[in-house]
Amino acid sequence: MNRDGATTLLGYLAGFALLFLVWHLAAVLLVRSTLFPPPWPVLERGWVLLEDGLLQESVLASLRRILQGFLLGSAIGIPAGLAIGSFRWVRLLLEPWTEFFRFIPAVAMITVSVIWFGIGEESKVFLIAYTTVFVIIIATAAGVGAVTPDKIRAAQCLGASRTQVFALVALPATVPFILTGMRLAMANSFVTIVAAELVASNDGLGKMLWDARLFMQIEDIFVALVTLGLLGFATDRAFRLLIRAFAGRYNPTM
Amino acid sequence: MGGAAAYPVALDGGWRLALVTLEAVGKTFRGRTGSWEAVRDFTLDLAEGEFTCLLGTSGCGKTTVLNLLAGFEAPTTGRILLDGIPVRGPGAERGVVFQGHDSLYDWLSALDNIGFGLRLRGVPKRERRARAGHFLAMVGLEGQGAKHPAELSGGMKQRIQIARALAADPRILLMDEPFGALDAMTRATLQGELTRIWAETRKTVLFITHDIEEAVALSTRVAVMTRGPGGTLKAVIPVDLPFPRDRTSDGFMAVFRQVHALIHAEIVAPPARAEIDA
Ligand SMILES: Nc1ncnc2c1ncn2[C@@H]1O[C@H](COP(=O)(O)OP(=O)(O)OP(=O)(O)O)[C@@H](O)[C@H]1O
Ligand SMILES: [Mg+2]
Repeated sequence: MNRDGATTLLGYLAGFALLFLVWHLAAVLLVRSTLFPPPWPVLERGWVLLEDGLLQESVLASLRRILQGFLLGSAIGIPAGLAIGSFRWVRLLLEPWTEFFRFIPAVAMITVSVIWFGIGEESKVFLIAYTTVFVIIIATAAGVGAVTPDKIRAAQCLGASRTQVFALVALPATVPFILTGMRLAMANSFVTIVAAELVASNDGLGKMLWDARLFMQIEDIFVALVTLGLLGFATDRAFRLLIRAFAGRYNPTM
Repeated sequence: MGGAAAYPVALDGGWRLALVTLEAVGKTFRGRTGSWEAVRDFTLDLAEGEFTCLLGTSGCGKTTVLNLLAGFEAPTTGRILLDGIPVRGPGAERGVVFQGHDSLYDWLSALDNIGFGLRLRGVPKRERRARAGHFLAMVGLEGQGAKHPAELSGGMKQRIQIARALAADPRILLMDEPFGALDAMTRATLQGELTRIWAETRKTVLFITHDIEEAVALSTRVAVMTRGPGGTLKAVIPVDLPFPRDRTSDGFMAVFRQVHALIHAEIVAPPARAEIDA
């Protein structure tokens, strides 16, 4: 297990090194334009922004919104998904909702959300929650539906009540699906927060991108892009580890 | 616990007390493809402590009979009585060992799977573990309780299923081709263990199989079904042979031949023959 971890880390480090190398070569040999800086000046600029505390500020602003919206979306999505998966009438009642809003992307809701909630925190949290909730509902409901009948029957003929079947069989069997839904939703949240902050915000990584474009600070743009990539990568790894801890035992493919 | 002497062999003496009664039970499924009569006019008594094998060709309705008895489904006609009281839904006095091993809980260890029924009753963790450990040892998996289902072989999973059903202390154990998917050697081992466990626990067992040898080796009587649709009870053959059973003995062969002839008459289409003879 430990050696496995070391191998993974080494592989990732080599992968990132290669990415930066290709970037460097492309910038220096191929593009040769001030509009596409090589990695080194970008990293230097990133360091300066870190020392000034500006980068952390943007990152924290964006992450805080993501976290709030994501938790809100999960808090609504998980119970709703469980109910949809468990009760036919709830599914019939709520499916039009999920299937309707699922096809209106959060990005399309930015305008309306700014009109409703202003350019402050509320509109961002709303958008993240919006983009999170339907993905999680669908994943959770699918998870409940995927519990094999034999698992439920086995509990029934061991004397389980309906509540026990739900709490001790359906729920744990659904956890891997919920986590997978959360993982997808987290990726959506990154897309949404940048878009929302680009359009209307006073801080955050999206605002940083926007400002840098206005003042043609090309390095700043790249600092924001690299930061987004690294943050996304880190959170996704974290989710994968979580899924593995819960589900990996019986699903070696994850 | 004990050798050959511990096996209940007095087959014609004390079996008359019916624990379960199936009275003219019928089951018709209605679905998209119209209605399908799976079981018709099925009547059978299961006496306390008896080991009955339900034998029949594929699709004759064996699983349907088990599902009705377990209470997973309701009969269309007739009634099922447990201690004289009509069965309504599943209950802990009827333990089930399922054909596949989908029914184990992947997120629980082998030991916690076995103790699941005790957990439902609120037995404290420590006592639950101890009692589950007893049944883990009974199915020959001592020291492997920490493993999760994904880490167990097919045969081990079936052992865990049997231990899980037994740990809940049911009055009757319903088993649906529990060894059907196992290789011949593992199957023979588990058959031997099941006979030993049955002698230890004296449970009433209904064991479904389409393997004639398995049926004659395990049971105190073999219930043979007619082929589907509308499978019903064709004959009940008592297997009055001492345990452990010698499969090469004349007595065993005689019962085997008798059951084989009954089953054979149910096979008209040639392709099915290979499956039954196997
Ligand atoms: N839920 C259902 N809906 C419709 N038809 C069903 C259903 N369950 C079983 N049947 C039909 O009833 C018949 C008997 O099925 P059953 O599963 O009891 O057979 P079986 O004797 O257990 O066969 P096998 O040995 O292959 O497991 C089959 O023709 C099957 O198609
Ligand atoms: Mg069957």
